[in-house]
Amino acid sequence: MNCLYWSCECDIGSYLHSWFLILLLFLCLSHRNTSKKYNIMAFNAGDRVSCSTWTQARMERDMSARRIYGEEETQEGAAGSEFGKKHREEARRKKFGIVTREFKVEDQPWILKVNGKTGKRFKGLKKGGVTENASYYIFTQCPDGAFEAFPVHGWYNFTPLAKHRTLTAEEAEEEWGRRNKVVNHFSIMLQRRFREQERGEDEEDETEKSGKKKKKGGSGRGGDLRIHDLDDDLEMSSDDSDSSGGEDGDSKAKVKKDTGKGKGKKKKKKSNESEALEDSDDGDYEGLEVDYMSDESSSEEEPEKGKPSKGEDLPKGIDEASESEEESEEEKQNDEEAKEEEEEEEGKKTPVQMEKKKKKANFFWWEWFCVNVCSVFLFVLNKSPLSLPHSQKKRTPPKWGGGRGSAGSSRTGSRPGTPSIDSASTSNTLRAAANKLEQGKRQTQGPSTDSPAAKRLKMEPSSQSPVPSGKSTPQPPSGKSTPSSSDVQLTEEAVRRYLIRKPMTTKDLLKKFQTKRTGLSSEQTVNVLAQILKRLNPERKNVNDKMHFYLTE
Amino acid sequence: MSEKGEVDLTGAKQNTGVWLVKVPKYLSQQWAKATGRGEVGKLRISENLNDDASSQVSFTLNEELTVIEGIEDKTVSAPREHPFTMQSVGGQMLAVFTETSSDKIALEGVVVQRAECRPAVSESYMRLKRLQIEESSKPARLSQQLEKAVTSNYKPVANHAYNLEYERKKKEEGKRARADKQQVLDMLFSAFEKHQYYNIKDLVDITKQPVSYLKEILRDIGIYNVKGTHKNTWELKPEYRHYQGEEKTDE
Repeated sequence: MNCLYWSCECDIGSYLHSWFLILLLFLCLSHRNTSKKYNIMAFNAGDRVSCSTWTQARMERDMSARRIYGEEETQEGAAGSEFGKKHREEARRKKFGIVTREFKVEDQPWILKVNGKTGKRFKGLKKGGVTENASYYIFTQCPDGAFEAFPVHGWYNFTPLAKHRTLTAEEAEEEWGRRNKVVNHFSIMLQRRFREQERGEDEEDETEKSGKKKKKGGSGRGGDLRIHDLDDDLEMSSDDSDSSGGEDGDSKAKVKKDTGKGKGKKKKKKSNESEALEDSDDGDYEGLEVDYMSDESSSEEEPEKGKPSKGEDLPKGIDEASESEEESEEEKQNDEEAKEEEEEEEGKKTPVQMEKKKKKANFFWWEWFCVNVCSVFLFVLNKSPLSLPHSQKKRTPPKWGGGRGSAGSSRTGSRPGTPSIDSASTSNTLRAAANKLEQGKRQTQGPSTDSPAAKRLKMEPSSQSPVPSGKSTPQPPSGKSTPSSSDVQLTEEAVRRYLIRKPMTTKDLLKKFQTKRTGLSSEQTVNVLAQILKRLNPERKNVNDKMHFYLTE
Repeated sequence: MSEKGEVDLTGAKQNTGVWLVKVPKYLSQQWAKATGRGEVGKLRISENLNDDASSQVSFTLNEELTVIEGIEDKTVSAPREHPFTMQSVGGQMLAVFTETSSDKIALEGVVVQRAECRPAVSESYMRLKRLQIEESSKPARLSQQLEKAVTSNYKPVANHAYNLEYERKKKEEGKRARADKQQVLDMLFSAFEKHQYYNIKDLVDITKQPVSYLKEILRDIGIYNVKGTHKNTWELKPEYRHYQGEEKTDE
């Protein structure tokens, strides 16, 4: 066997009062026991793991990765399988150069369970590159004094596994987004627990709260909700008779109790802690006014962008020019009400972002109001009597009692162009004025609804080309488009209206009743128009070498 | 089995202390060559009793293990003296566990001292290092210029191997004869018992029938999947199937 030499030397000359012990030992390499592989189990310093406290331990390989590798082996056997599928899959993989890594048992992590089911759990991940450039040896001293060196086969870093319930990645991301708003962190896990219970999952783990709950230990609230931290003992903090004593008690019974207690606890928390937020459901934060609302501001950019583009498309043609001016003016009005400006062409985003509910209610009212105001202004400016028809016409369409603007708004509900709050003060006077004018106008124009209608109609087709319907623009185009579909019918009334208003050639008339709008083909249009003209028998006059029709009423 | 996975904690209980020593590659290679009882050298530990810190440990390699053979018959001799540098473990807890071939795990002990084995710098060590560098600096792949062009692979007019295969195939099979319909049906059913979906080519292979004839029969008893995961495959009609997971009846 191995001999042990040891001699004691004391050289008084150089090392005065010190004694040296020199041991000469044989270093033996372990060629016996080659079947035993030595590995290192490394723990983090911070975890303060002490082997001496371990009474019992179990360690197994974590084979969960095998599922991923073995997933290709779906169904063997008859049903659902194809002949030669494996070969084909393999050939395919080779063709695409997909190299699947083998599942090596040696490289799989270890799962170490200490002190039974309620004890600690560790996961040991293999550290790579340990044996590449240098070798590690374990030197142990044999009873006879010689050293034995065993090569280290692998190095595993063991980390403790959390036993309390944690959030999944998606849930964590969700909560991260709400970190500024959620004050009551306890409810996060509580909610999750309730959700899981609703799904009917069986809970193995009874410790669901995060470590923050530790401070609530003793008080009655801590009741039967067991607080767990890795360093904590697993004894029940309270001597509540409800909670079944054993740590490995029936999970189901506890679960039920937990829910009951949990809900009660939640209420208690509400009253005791008076937290700001209880239920962190998604919809709860919408109504809040907070400093920074990143989400909502972005969504409201889009309808605004639609508006300016529409405004710029408008001016076209001579007749249409005036109309479009009115339209753009209306648009302006809508936006400018907020800023009290009249010169702006583009619809700008109102600075005030109102809550959607309030907005909607005010929006309808505002649209209606704006319409009236526009009519007032236009009437005052004497541009054309077309303003009034606007306001009136906007009420006729049966879409919504609030007026034409509502039609547009119902489609584009998120239109933020209703700065009701800002202009509320200024609106009163305008509103009064508009109302009076409206009523007056309506009365006087009762019999002459036809003419406004005619004018309206005339504008409609013209507005259609520049402004397609259904977009998120303010009232004028949207309002015009809704009734326009019905009014573009090629009727005698419509023709009559046009001709009363102003003399037109056949070509002009045809332009008014575009095939796209009336739904008739060009031939049909021509025929119908000819018939109508025969019936109407309008008067003719020559203007610029062209035959114009007109009617006087 | 309660045995499997059970860790033998005797080493931990005894608090066996071990050393973790980092050893250079060449040294471990030399150690691997040790014969007999596996004695590789002498370990010299000189402890200063008064001062723990200045202990010196050094290892002397046995004479017979110093011969290192390099490539191209270059032999170098490894240095013999190796002083150890002692290091503390730090806060980290390093335990040693063993795993036998029969999957038995035992905790051997805890590391109490870390050390690094260094060679004493000497001529022989330098030579050894130079050898190592030379070996490692050689590229794994080499481009070599050939003096003569490789003429062993001629460009064939037709692939000879393939040609033979082709002729053989023609001779052997010829035109596939139409067998009795019932026989073919039997073959098909037995084939479909093994797998649900088949490619027409595979079926032709199995049954050795001409394609058109086979297709006719298949049209009778099977359906052709055009879309889906098993596209362009034939399978039996539902009434003919009786797979494990289905509740259809047999023909």
